[in-house]
Amino acid sequence: MRGSKSSQFGQQLFFVGPAVLFFTVVMIIPFVMGMYYSFTDWNGVSGNVAWVGFDNFKMIFTNDPDFWSSFWFTVRFTVLGVVLTNVVGFFLAYFLTKALKTRNMLRTIFFMPNVIGGLLLGFIWQFIFIKGFATMGDLTGWSFFNLPWLGDATTGFWAIVMVFVWQSSGYLMVIYIASLNNVSKEVLEAAEIDGASRGQVLRSIIVPLIMPAVTVGLFLAISWSFKMFDLNLSLTKGGPFKSTESVAMNIYNEAFLNNRYGLGTAKALLFFVIVAIITVIQVRVTKSKEVEA
Amino acid sequence: MMKKRSAVMLSSVMLMSVVLAACGGNNTNNASNNAQNGSAGNAGGETKTVKIFQFKTEIVEGLNELKVEFEKEYPNIKLDIQTVGGGADYAAALKTKFASGDAPDIFSNGGYAEMDLWGDKLEDLSDQPWVKDLIPLAAEPMTKDGKTYGMPMNLEGIGYVYNKDLFEKAGITETPKTLSELEEAAKKLQAIDVIPFGNAYQEWWLLGNQGISVAFAQQDNVDEFIAGLNGGTASIVGNPVFKDWSNLLKLTVEYGQKNPLTTDANTHLAMFANGEVAMMQEGNWAQTLVDNITPDMNIGMFPMPINEDAEKNDKMTVGIPANLVVNKDSASKEEAKTFLNWLVTSDMGKEYITKKWKFIPALSTIEANPEDIGDLGSDVWNYVQEGKVYGLQSSKFPDGVTQEFASVIQQLIADKVDEAGWETAMQAAWDKLKK
Repeated sequence: MRGSKSSQFGQQLFFVGPAVLFFTVVMIIPFVMGMYYSFTDWNGVSGNVAWVGFDNFKMIFTNDPDFWSSFWFTVRFTVLGVVLTNVVGFFLAYFLTKALKTRNMLRTIFFMPNVIGGLLLGFIWQFIFIKGFATMGDLTGWSFFNLPWLGDATTGFWAIVMVFVWQSSGYLMVIYIASLNNVSKEVLEAAEIDGASRGQVLRSIIVPLIMPAVTVGLFLAISWSFKMFDLNLSLTKGGPFKSTESVAMNIYNEAFLNNRYGLGTAKALLFFVIVAIITVIQVRVTKSKEVEA
Repeated sequence: MMKKRSAVMLSSVMLMSVVLAACGGNNTNNASNNAQNGSAGNAGGETKTVKIFQFKTEIVEGLNELKVEFEKEYPNIKLDIQTVGGGADYAAALKTKFASGDAPDIFSNGGYAEMDLWGDKLEDLSDQPWVKDLIPLAAEPMTKDGKTYGMPMNLEGIGYVYNKDLFEKAGITETPKTLSELEEAAKKLQAIDVIPFGNAYQEWWLLGNQGISVAFAQQDNVDEFIAGLNGGTASIVGNPVFKDWSNLLKLTVEYGQKNPLTTDANTHLAMFANGEVAMMQEGNWAQTLVDNITPDMNIGMFPMPINEDAEKNDKMTVGIPANLVVNKDSASKEEAKTFLNWLVTSDMGKEYITKKWKFIPALSTIEANPEDIGDLGSDVWNYVQEGKVYGLQSSKFPDGVTQEFASVIQQLIADKVDEAGWETAMQAAWDKLKK
């Protein structure tokens, strides 16, 4: 008995050990160190690290409007980003599970943006927004193209949303396709025989049955859009006048431009807590909606 | 049963090999580190590596050619040159290097506030032979308590780069020395269907670092003013020079191309080199960039005027973009010093500084010929010779203020705030980040 238990432990150590080791080294230890630094005034370079208690957090709550405006920006962005990527992803999947001739090709095309790195995409789209749209505006005279794209707060915001949706919905599409293919044909046929319309089938049968995919899709989209940094950096760099600065970027700037590493990690810690709460609630809520056929 | 067990064995062996391989990598690293540290003791014999980490992307090619020459002359020293461009990315990368124990032996530093930031890593270079030859203006950023901590790479002048041919065509005979002369010139340029200004106001450094520097430099005593800002006795709000500066900004926007906030430096360079715009705020480094698009363009540079005082305005802003410093904890710091000395005293190094990089030298022992450093460089050099210069002030700002300034100035450009609100926001930016 004792022997088998210890051999079980040995096996667990063997198989899980390396993963735990690496996870500890690259995730847990930096995280704990970050927690420590958030209570200090370290500047990122010097050898002197002074403990300042809750000063950094006090500063964030009382004297840092930029953090909260970037937080508000990120929240607005996340709400739109999550809804749009999932809706677009779902409908792409819905139509690309129909019997279309160009189905595979279209799937590849919609997934493609995901393969290209965010930074690169950002720079390509920056060119499109500034040069491409201006040229289109000259040719067509449409006011949509003649807006000062990326040049003011509103267009900057929508530009990032557009590129984000374009980039991410392909990935969610793949998840939804996999899930849609698993919806059993019998149920659909039964509904059809019972005289359900297309809309009814979609609403009352398909959507409830793919709820597990919705859980995953929402979770991914929420964490992507909260963490979004590369698109932000390459499209607007947070500008003009910080109007499109995401929290991730605000944290980065605080730590590496303002050389206030302690304050930066304090923000990061706070941000982690907020995002963790939101995602836990989201997973709970959508999990409760999952049904079995 | 046997099958299962062998499968377990096989996978475990594979896993172990992965783990071992990872460890192995580390071990070899340690071994080579030890070897390096060991060689610090015995002179000659073994070769030592000097790791250089810098951010001037435009000189990488030349540095690599110099490396070959240097290693020929000093077979015992190997150079390892790494470059990460862009101010912020460089700073983050440098911190990463130090944090991961891969600290370079020579790296770049901006001086003043940045020197203080890195203070406890810097080797005192006061005893180096080249220190006495430094131009005083160039030595200032890296001097503290009478000690010199870095070697300035070059001088850079900042002002309006202009197209001489377009100016002539528009009938402008002299470079504008006051704000009203500048507006006059802009009107004349508009009359011949040329956009007077190309404004790359998307770039934070152009506004918050190099542009605003003029408003500081024209204070009666800039160091007192900055000390006052830090101590709370001086204020940007209500300061007439800042108001003057905002007038210049408005003038350039009014007579500039559209969408200045989405225009980056590459775009205004291209517009300038193609003759679409007649002026742009740039530095003499623009010479090589313009040459790459339109060779042999007839161009020059003049300082940025912000009011009607011609004498005060006719001074070029001159800064030290980067200084090479030596890591005082480095095992091969003597070799690093050897390289720095070689860079500014050998014929080869001197030639590269002025001819290849078109640098305005920061040492009086290096000669600068107008043909070598280009039109822009020689314009700046003339201002330096005549002593008509302002130092670039932004390195004296608290960390992060330049970016904050830029975003506040962008608000002014976008008409989100008026001039008074802008001054308040500038002051708030300073107060937020001062130490």
